[in-house]
This record gives sequence, structure tokens and C-alpha cells, in this order.
Amino acid sequence: MINISRRNALGSSVAAAAGAVLARPYIANAAATTAVVWNNQGFVKEEDEAFKQVVSDYEKKTGNKIEYSIMPFMALNQKTISALTSGDVPDLIFHDAPATILPQNAWNDKLLPVNDVVEVQKARLNPSALAASSFYNSTSKKRDFYLCPVKMGTTPFHIWGDLVKKAGFDLKDAPKTWDAYWDFFKQMQAPLRAAGMRKIYALGLQVTTVGPNDSTNLYQHFLEANGGGDIVTEDGKLHTDDPKVREAALKATTWMSDCYKGGFVPPEALSWNDADDNNGFHEKLFLMDLDGTISTEVAMIHDKAKYDAAVTMRLPNRNDGSPMRAFIGPGGGFIPKGAKNVDAAKDFMKYYMLPEVMNANLKTGLGRWIPAITDLCKSDPFWLDPADPHRVAYTSQALGTTRPLYNAFNPAWGQVEAEQLFMSTVSDVVKNNMTPQAALDKAFKRANEIFAKFTFA
Amino acid sequence: MSSTTEQALSVGRPFDATRARRRHGWFGGLQGSEHAWAVAFALPYTAVFLFFVIYPIGYGLWMGSSPALYQELFDDPRYMTTVINTLLYVGIGVNLKMFLAFMLSGFFIRKRWWSKFVLVLFILPWATPALPAFMSIHWFLNGQWGMLNNMLFELFGIDGPVYLNEHWTGLAANVGAYIWKTLPFWTLILLAGRMAVPTELYEAAAVDGAGGLRKFTHVTLPLMANLYFVCTLLDMVFALGDFNSTFFVSGGGPAMSTEVLATLGIRYAFTVALPNLGVAAVMSALPLLIPLVILLMRKLRMSEGQL
Amino acid sequence: MSATISNRRKRSKLYYRVQHYAGEIACLVLGAVLVIWSLMPIYNMWMIALNKHDAIFEGGLWPEDPTLEAFRVVVTQDFWYLAQFWHQFGNSFYVGFMVSFLTLFIGSLASFTVGRLHLKNGWMLTNAALMTYVIPASFLAIPMYRIMQIYGLANNLWSVIATLTTFATPYAIFIFSQYGKSIPMELDESARIDGANPWQIYFRIYLPLMAPALVAVGTYALLLAWNEYLYNFLLLSTPGSMTVAVALAQFLNSDESPWNYMMATAIIYAIPPIVMYYGSRRYMAAGLTMGGVKG
Repeated sequence: MINISRRNALGSSVAAAAGAVLARPYIANAAATTAVVWNNQGFVKEEDEAFKQVVSDYEKKTGNKIEYSIMPFMALNQKTISALTSGDVPDLIFHDAPATILPQNAWNDKLLPVNDVVEVQKARLNPSALAASSFYNSTSKKRDFYLCPVKMGTTPFHIWGDLVKKAGFDLKDAPKTWDAYWDFFKQMQAPLRAAGMRKIYALGLQVTTVGPNDSTNLYQHFLEANGGGDIVTEDGKLHTDDPKVREAALKATTWMSDCYKGGFVPPEALSWNDADDNNGFHEKLFLMDLDGTISTEVAMIHDKAKYDAAVTMRLPNRNDGSPMRAFIGPGGGFIPKGAKNVDAAKDFMKYYMLPEVMNANLKTGLGRWIPAITDLCKSDPFWLDPADPHRVAYTSQALGTTRPLYNAFNPAWGQVEAEQLFMSTVSDVVKNNMTPQAALDKAFKRANEIFAKFTFA
Repeated sequence: MSSTTEQALSVGRPFDATRARRRHGWFGGLQGSEHAWAVAFALPYTAVFLFFVIYPIGYGLWMGSSPALYQELFDDPRYMTTVINTLLYVGIGVNLKMFLAFMLSGFFIRKRWWSKFVLVLFILPWATPALPAFMSIHWFLNGQWGMLNNMLFELFGIDGPVYLNEHWTGLAANVGAYIWKTLPFWTLILLAGRMAVPTELYEAAAVDGAGGLRKFTHVTLPLMANLYFVCTLLDMVFALGDFNSTFFVSGGGPAMSTEVLATLGIRYAFTVALPNLGVAAVMSALPLLIPLVILLMRKLRMSEGQL
Repeated sequence: MSATISNRRKRSKLYYRVQHYAGEIACLVLGAVLVIWSLMPIYNMWMIALNKHDAIFEGGLWPEDPTLEAFRVVVTQDFWYLAQFWHQFGNSFYVGFMVSFLTLFIGSLASFTVGRLHLKNGWMLTNAALMTYVIPASFLAIPMYRIMQIYGLANNLWSVIATLTTFATPYAIFIFSQYGKSIPMELDESARIDGANPWQIYFRIYLPLMAPALVAVGTYALLLAWNEYLYNFLLLSTPGSMTVAVALAQFLNSDESPWNYMMATAIIYAIPPIVMYYGSRRYMAAGLTMGGVKG
């Protein structure tokens, strides 16, 4: 079944590409040129194949040549930073999660603005993805588009549906507000343990201060759910003095600390690394967690029983009942300053962003990423296919109320994230017996110091 | 010590007369072709140095040369803990390991029919690629389902702690992993060093009636001291730059409390795209590194002559 | 009187025998501790490799349902990260041997000329070599990347070989100069009297006597190249030109990797260096006996 759908996807990608070429003369320069492109490796083989497919289609259509290399994140980050620092750069870099390296490099004037490329599809691009693709340049003293968004990810809930049933509950009864929603799962821990799952915990809460960004992502959601989602605003300002933000942070830290102390979270969660929470989910060491994209489920796609046992759910409402804004992190291509074949790179990028190409590309990648042109999800039945237990919830969350990640607003957020400032408040409370207030004072003070390093004109 | 041992020990030392003659002969122009040979032998490394060392090191030093970077570094609340951790990591990790390596090299030099099998198993950690090995240790120590706690439970019926949740056990795990990975290598180096000690020395000492301890203090120790010292200094330099064990075992957690300068630097450089700050983080260890390097230089300069 | 002496002798014989056996038992215990210490994390890797993908962290002391499936996948290249496993294995050998050879060759020549030929101002060479370690290798990524672009060596396997040789050679020079001090100078002298030129002394006397150190440092250089992945990624761009260490690092790309395949790969990959080290041990022994024969 999976094979057939993949073949369909490949077929439709070719057809779509062909159609696109006939329909739209996007090619700027006719002379055949070569662009050097770096791309990050996907989580599944299909993602890489999809990328290669786009490249070969493009080469056939234009006669341009794309010299690409595909590498894992860690290597791509290192190589990208080495290239940007030393000046020997490729023409185009694709990155699924560029939010950690783009803001600082845009600030340092290491990237080329790509406003003209983004402009072509601007009207159809998701506003949150768009907002997270422009960055401030401290040399030109203005904000420009430096990322051409192709795909975007959001963070849904991952739940073992079979265990919920085993505990005697029904997911239909899950409450519609944030804290109550989490509490709903807490009560399943006791029955499951009684049923022989001696070591299971209800919540896979990533209260860790180790993994690069799982924990900050979780904390952001708690802020948003408690009405403090605007801790950083689009103008790059930090609002820790806003009483609403402070109250939300206090609630977030207190709730998570209490939950950990109450024994609903694996004790190990304080020192989980990036992969530990995913391993824990696969091993059913806990019942549910909140984690970016549906990679967890896509990894199980060849194991039908498990794939169907897991359930993906959208975010509930905020605690006050208003809808929560789902955080959107875009991925796509960016062009380093000093690139030799800017025209070729932009041309390829424009091709990549054609709705048909984008759609076919991401479908082939098994739907782990949602097209940055979100309306494609409404026209292609693949995205909201009710037969798939995960994609429909994930996609509809991205189609609902959204907001951009903070990273694009100010490079300082990347450092706040790297220093794990916010989740450290939880470990300060749990391990160092600090009060939530004191822990937050410490975190806020440091966050303000970091933000003070970045001043906007 | 008797004259036999003295004499035997002096085997390794040239007589002053010989040395004087040789010096005169080599640099007095009498054997010009030897000088040409000597220069030719030095060429390959000189080339490596000129082409691959000067520029990168100069570039690196330049990257970390702005004083503002150090201000930023010292403002980071993690910095002080990181420095203390680095001192502990390097101080304990290296010295404990070198001591063990020295002792074990004595163990392995004795021929027993089974010791070569032990040696093969013993060098496995060194040959095992670092990433999977350290990830295995990370999982091995997991409090919830790790093998260590499972064994404790099966054997003694006790529930072990969550090692990586605590500062001290986390740091100990990183140091332990570093020792585990590199102990075989240094043992082999010191084993090679012991092999070079002429057996006549031990025989002569035995003739003098020296027991195991005296042989050790009068033959092994003086001959090995220099090698031991150079190895220790070198490994300190290596340990300062090692990020793998901390990065993959504790990940710097809990709450950044086991971070060392190398991991902090890697995070600055490649996570938040501040490469200069990353280089500054490791360069801030230079006050520690430079005395080590000078010591090494002096040791090596002495090594021009013989023991 | 003679009876008391023989009595004492008997007692001391017994005493020594007891002491001997006690010592042997202590050594056996030490050997056992060493084996356990060395194998614990590796046993854990085995466990993961032998488990099915979804049962890796169930936490027993032996897999409930052990399978060699992961090893089959690695050997038959049946997983996308491992699609070029054997080809990359070949690269590992090539890079490993080149780096070892160059490190040993350049390092031993340098230490020979400084330590044995007493090259004038030779100390500058060894001191200069130390500069390599002033900044740790992992922080030289950016300058190394830049310099390889300048030399036009980007995407060339030789850029990795040159980089690793640069990092390994100073170390080789130091160990060799320390080690070489225990080789009697008289050997060189007598060879010189027999009319040998410095190259012959280097090749016929110095190198054979240095065998234990050459084996140890050679294995060091081999393993440095064998397990290096960051510079592979940094300096090369096609997986076909990289080593198996790169395939291993790919597993870290995803939070959802099949860790059993990773561990199986690591176990298979660790075997050749062990075999090589073990195979070269007889040269170490040769060095030892020759060290005994001296002028």
C-alpha cells in the first residue's frame, strides 16, 4: 500500500513539474549554469529521494546543473558556519530547521536577501512561515527575507491510543483546555501500572536541559497556553516585565515542577538528550508527549500495528478557553553572501517553490513537513486524508491558528535557547529547591542581559 | 645500588668523550653529507608545518583575539562552572588514567598465557568508534532502563540512582567514559616504553639482589619518568579539546552543570553560530595550556640528548 | 645444623610458592576486572545490536528474542545510511593506511634527525610541532576548511588525509623522541664506522628498534583516521568518498534512528583495527629482542 502511494507521489511530482514548466516561464536566465547546493539529510530515505527528484527534473527542464551534497544536521551546521565565516560559500543551502543559525548570520550580514524569490509566491505563503523567514541585518539596518520557505513544521501531541484504552479511557473525552488536557492523561498512570506496566509514566514532559531545543519548545507552548505567548514580539523586544508574561511563566514553571515532583514524568527526563524522549515513546515508557512534527509516527510507518496504535492530536485551547496559536518553524533555502552563481541559485529556488513542485516534493517525503503554501493542503486530498491516523491532525493544526517561532524576531532567542534558560527554572525548582519566583527572576535577568546585546535601529 | 646496575644503567648513556667527538665531527664540516641528510630528513615535517599548521593556527588565534569576546564569555553564568568542571575533568581524567596506564603496562609486560587475550579485549574500547560507544554508555547509565541499574536490581535487588540527573555522578560518568576510551592507548604507549628498557638492566639488578620493588624504583621509574611526564602533558592538551565524551554521555546536563570548555565552545560555534566566541572559549584555557606547552618544550629539548 | 638450614629452605620455598600463587590469583582477578570494565559498554552495544528495533530499550540483561538481523542489514547494505558500506569500508582502509604511513614516516624522520643526527636547531622543529595543539583540532574546522579551498583540495580525499596527518604527526614526533632515548647511541656509532649512511642507519637500525613505538603510534594514527567523521563532512561532499565513520554519524541525524543497525555497524567496524594491531604485535616482540642485542 505504501509502495503504491509512493509511486503515485513520484509520478504526480513529475507530472506536476512538467505542467509547471509549460504553464509558467519562471526561468530567468537561459544560459546553462551550475549551482552548488547543500542540503540536510531527511529523517526518512524518501525525503532525500524527493529532493533528488526535484533536482533531476530541474536539470532536465533547464539545462542548468545542480551540484548537490546531502549531509546530516550536525555536519551541515558546522559546514555552513565554516563557509559563512571563511567566505568560501556554496550557492544555496537547504535546511529543515534553520532557526538556530539564520538569525545570527543575517544580523552579521553574511546572507543575501531573497525578497525577489519570496515575492513570487508571497501571496500564497503561510503568514507565520513568512514572518519566521525575515531577519534583521545590523549592517543594512533593516529586516529582509533571507529564507525562502518551502516547508514548515508544528508540534502536535503523540499518544499511545492502545494504552489509553487499556487504562479504560476514551480520547474523545479529552478536555479542551491545556492544563486539564494534560491532567486527563495523568489519571491513566495508576490503572496502567496496576495492569502490569510497572515502569510506565503518564507524561513524556521534556523538562530536560540537555537536548538542543525540545525543552524550550515545550516551555514556549506552556507560555502560550497561559497567555504569555508574546514574551518576544516581532520588533525583537523581550517582555519579561509584562505582568501577563510573568504570570504565565510562573504558572508554567510551577505546573511542570509539580508534575515532575508528583511522579508523573520519568525521573530521567531532567537529563534527556535529543533522542531519549523519542526512544522512550517508542518503548512505551510513557503514555504521551508533545514533540515537533510527526517524525515519531513516520518512523513507524512500516510497522502497521504500531503506526495505528499511536494517535496524533492537535493542541487544545489555552487555559482561558481561547484558541492556542501553534508555533510554526519554516525550513527552506538560503543564499550565502559571496555566492558565485546567485542567479542560478535563485532560479532553482523559484522552481522549488512552485506550488506543484513543493507539494509533490513534500508528499514524497511522507508528509513529515507541511507545504509552506498551506492552501495546497486543502486542494490535495493527501494532506487531510482521514484514513491516515496522524497526518490529518498534524496538518489541520498547521491550517488553524498559528504564530511564528521567536527565533526570527531576535538572534538573542537562539542564545536563550542554547543556555536552556527557561527549562532551567524547572530543574532549579526540582533539584535546587528554589521557589519558582526566584528561579524565574534568575532566568529573566539573564534573558534581559542577552537581549541587551542586540539593539535595533 | 651496586656497580653492576650502575654500569648497566649507563648503557643507555653515551660517554662524554664520544659525544664531544661526534658533535665536533658532525658540525665541524668534516661530514657535510651527514648534515645534508639531517636537513633532508627534517624537510617533510617542515613542509607539513608550513602548509598546514601556520595558517590554521594563526587564523584560529586571530578568531579568538578580540577582548570583547572574553567579556562576553565571562558574562555567561555557565562559564565559571565550566572552568571548574574542565579542571576536574582534565586533572582527574588525565592523571588517574596515566597512573592506571602505567600500572597496567607493568601488568601486560609480564608474559602469561592468558594475558594476550585480556589485552585484545582491553584495547576494544579504543578501537570502538567514539559516537556509538559514548551513546552506549549514556544508555547504560540510564536510571530507568539502563543496564547498570538492571544489573544492580538483578544481583542485589537495589534500585540504582538516576546517574545523569546529578552533577557529581554526571561528571564522574564523563570522566569515566574518557578514561574508558583512552586508557588502552596510553597503556600501550607505556607498554612500548617498558619494552624499550633493556632486559640487561633488570638482570643486573637481580644479580645485585634487588627485589621487585627495588627493580621498579631503581630501573623502571627513572627510565620511564620522562615518557610518563610527556604523555601526561600531551594528554592534558588532548583532554582540554575533547568534547565527545561530555557531549554524548551527560550532554552537559543536568542544567549545564557538567559542561566543559570544549562542549561550551562547540555549542557557541555551531549551535548559535558564534564561531569566534567558540574559539575564545577554548582559548580561555590558554593560561593553563601555555605552561603545559612550555613544560613540554623543555622536556623535548632535553630529549635531544639521551637519558 | 644442616637440618635447620634445609628446614628453613623448605619453609621459604613453600612461602615463595604461596606468595607466587597468591600473586597469580591477584593477577587473574585484575585481569577479570579489566575485562569486565572494558566490555561493559561494548556488551551494551551488543545487546542493542541483537535486539529488534522496537525492543532496544526494554532493559533486560539478555535480549528476549536475540536476532542477527541488524548484522545482516549492515553486511548486505540493506539500509539507506549503509547503502555504500563496503565502498566506504574501502575508503576507511585507504585513508587509515595513508594517514598511518605518512604519520610514521614524517614523524620518525623528524625525530631521527633531531634526536639522533642532532640537527642544528632541530629543537625548533619539535617546538614548532607543539603549536599544532595550542588550539584543539575540533576548533580548527573553519581555518582548515578555508585552507583546503585555497589549495584547491576541497572535495579531494587528500584534504582529509593531509588534515589528519597534520594532527597526528606532532604527537608521533614527541613519542618517538622520548622513546628513542632508550636506544643506545653506540649502535649508530658502530654502524657509522661500518660505513653506513644516515638513511641506512635510519632504515636498518632506528626503525626496527623503534618497532613497539611505531606499532602503538601507527595504530593511533589509523584509529584517528578510522573514526574521524567531522572533517570528512567538512572537506568532502559526496558520501561515496567518505569513510564508514560518516555512515555512523548519519544515525545521529534523526531522533528515530534504528540504533540496533548503528551498533551492529560499530561492532563490525571496530574489528579490523583490532586485528591489525594484533597482527603487528609480533613486530613489537621483534623490536624487543633486537633491543636486547646491542653494541
